[in-house]
Amino acid sequence: MKVKNGFEMQNVCGEHIIVPAGIENVDYSKIISMNPTAAYLWEKVAAMEEFTIDEMVQLLLDEYEVTEDVAREDCKLIVERWAEIGLIED
Amino acid sequence: MNLNERSVRVNNHLFIQEIKRMFNEKGKKSVTFVVRGFSMRPFIEHERDKVILVPPRRPKVGDVVLAEIAKKRYALHRVIKIDGDRFIMQGDGNPTRLTETFTMEDVVGIAEAFVRKGKVVPVTSRKWRYYSTAWRLLKPMRRILLAIYRRI
Repeated sequence: MKVKNGFEMQNVCGEHIIVPAGIENVDYSKIISMNPTAAYLWEKVAAMEEFTIDEMVQLLLDEYEVTEDVAREDCKLIVERWAEIGLIED
Repeated sequence: MNLNERSVRVNNHLFIQEIKRMFNEKGKKSVTFVVRGFSMRPFIEHERDKVILVPPRRPKVGDVVLAEIAKKRYALHRVIKIDGDRFIMQGDGNPTRLTETFTMEDVVGIAEAFVRKGKVVPVTSRKWRYYSTAWRLLKPMRRILLAIYRRI
């Protein structure tokens, strides 16, 4: 998987939000916001050419006190959601 | 992890700095957000409707402008009068004696369209122009009309 081009993460009033870089309108009524954990993962994988669930799990384990099983479940969920809203592609 | 839809209420002043940054640094042509407050009733309703704002230009009478009306205080109201460099505006839903004054430097953006009950209404549309004219003509009856509106 990889992160699609053209998305920028920004911090607005303490929220980590994803803004499409090339679009001329910013719609704050439909913004994609990430919690700190998701934002951490996003920043890491956005910097990678490609990434796998295994790599994401490792990233979580590096930074957070979670079991591998929990980390894997969370990563699967978030990847599913990112794919659904079109932030990542195969 | 929170993967659900939710709405976030942000501080007005910080949010407006963000809008300015989008216009000035990011070169965005418009921003859309949900409006808060009752001062533009009956057309625009608190937390139901949205406004699409474009970067500052010199406002005209009838424009709906987002401006800083006092330090860190903002209003999205209709310009009713221009007096040289001073612009006077008023909320459609406010008492007619209540106005705000601002200058060109205070303009954050100008409404290009509204999203009312989910439908886009550009300020150039017939609907918006009819409504605006009607509301202006009904000004003497505003207090009673707003009182009725609040009850329905």
